[in-house]
Amino acid sequence: MDGEKKTYGGCEGPDAVYVKLISSDGYEFIVKKQHALTSGKIKAMLSGPGQFADNESDEVHFREIPSHVLSKVYALCMYFMYKVRYTNSSTKIPEFPVAPEIALELLMAANFLDC
Amino acid sequence: HQEPREELGPRAGKRNARVGEEPLLLAELKPGRPHQFDWKSSCETWSVAFSPDGSWFAWSQGHCIVKLIPWPLEEQFIPKGFEAKSRSGKNETKGRGSPKEKTLDCGQIVWGLAFSPWPSPPSRKLWARHHPQVPDVSCLVLATGLNDGQIKIWEVQTGLLLLNLSGHQDVVRDLSFTPSGSLILVSASRDKTLRIWDLNKHGKQIQVLSGHLQWVYCCSISPDCSMLCSAAGEKSVFLWSMRSYTLIRKLEGHQSSVVSCDFSPDSALLVTASYDTNVIMWDPYTGERLRSLHHTQVDPAMDDSDVHISSLRSVCFSPEGLYLATVADDRLLRIWALELKTPIAFAPMTNGLCCTFFPHGGVIATGTRDGHVQFWTAPRVLSSLKHLCRKALRSFLTTYQVLALPIPKKMKEFLTYRTF
Repeated sequence: MDGEKKTYGGCEGPDAVYVKLISSDGYEFIVKKQHALTSGKIKAMLSGPGQFADNESDEVHFREIPSHVLSKVYALCMYFMYKVRYTNSSTKIPEFPVAPEIALELLMAANFLDC
Repeated sequence: HQEPREELGPRAGKRNARVGEEPLLLAELKPGRPHQFDWKSSCETWSVAFSPDGSWFAWSQGHCIVKLIPWPLEEQFIPKGFEAKSRSGKNETKGRGSPKEKTLDCGQIVWGLAFSPWPSPPSRKLWARHHPQVPDVSCLVLATGLNDGQIKIWEVQTGLLLLNLSGHQDVVRDLSFTPSGSLILVSASRDKTLRIWDLNKHGKQIQVLSGHLQWVYCCSISPDCSMLCSAAGEKSVFLWSMRSYTLIRKLEGHQSSVVSCDFSPDSALLVTASYDTNVIMWDPYTGERLRSLHHTQVDPAMDDSDVHISSLRSVCFSPEGLYLATVADDRLLRIWALELKTPIAFAPMTNGLCCTFFPHGGVIATGTRDGHVQFWTAPRVLSSLKHLCRKALRSFLTTYQVLALPIPKKMKEFLTYRTF
């Protein structure tokens, strides 16, 4: 949780499979890039000016979001997977359940990430 | 009167329709042999309903009959006595019937229908003594509202008549069970009352709700089982508490008889439909009117008659809570997206009387005056995470509880459906 390098796919370089989302209090959450990009906000932050894809790792610093909110990242990733899976597919779309106890914080994150 | 049978099918290029969102007719069931006109019975399909688990479909097809068919509808199992026209083939298939389908002969015109799950014993141990054929597994019951005020309760798997509820003095126009499966039934009648029945106590009538001045056309219990909505001929909509069975408030705004009502899946919104050509969306907790959906703007290119009668017959919410379907006298089925002021799609539909969504989405069923039932494709929806969270929160938070949360004003507006 303190910037230590993890062993999965890697967050660096243009072929990075994963991206790192960093909360305002320094917690890091690693998610699959393909899924993170379904958020328009993350996509904009990753491709905006100042992001050098071949030099720096794919990291997004959320200066306004504390870890207890960003910890809903897991739920967010489940949603991203759900959206990727069912967009542009003709199969029936099942309901995506949201646990009532995290719904409010998840709403804040979803609002910020515009998804 | 004989209406020439209209060509039904996909119609491209409608104004306001997004590509691929027009309801497409999947199948239509019509009586195979037109019945002799009998002054005691009529052929209208006043109600259609899916069971909450989506395993059965019922419709009151006129001539005192209710047809119960297993869902999904398979080609080889078109109900007995019916013809089906499906999207896949132009040929009409004659019905042979599924072994599981049931025909309930109610003895009089059937106006209202409602399903309820019937959870396992102990409530059913009482039944087993008198009706040994009642299956042991968890099953379903269907309530039917009849012309003379009676309500008949049927067991779905066997088609057995379980109970006869008496009390109403006139047509039982609509019925609604508590969605929780607690077997409390509400009935709405032309005798201007609503009645509450407890099926756990052999259908004992536990309350009479008076107050309406004219026929009560519809009733609906909110999904969280806290509120009951009723609407009547005197243009008013009443909201009752399902805990105390007392009147909470009256919603004024319609200019003519209010004939259909429905709550959103999270109980946060109420829609009502009237002969005044409008659907009004309300916040049931505050009584505020949020928006009106007008049914008078019909594209003249689509409507080849001189008359623009757009009285509403039925309105219902889609299961994820983002769309509405309406049936009106101007021969159109309309699909509305909640946040927009005009429909997103239309489908031609003559003599429509009722509509309902399949509980898991994807299909809309409609019923008509000539006893036909149609199944249409419903818009395919992938809800935003924002909406999914809103739906989860509003399933247990009232509008006032939302307003008391320590969140930004814009978030409150979103959560209370003031913005989308």
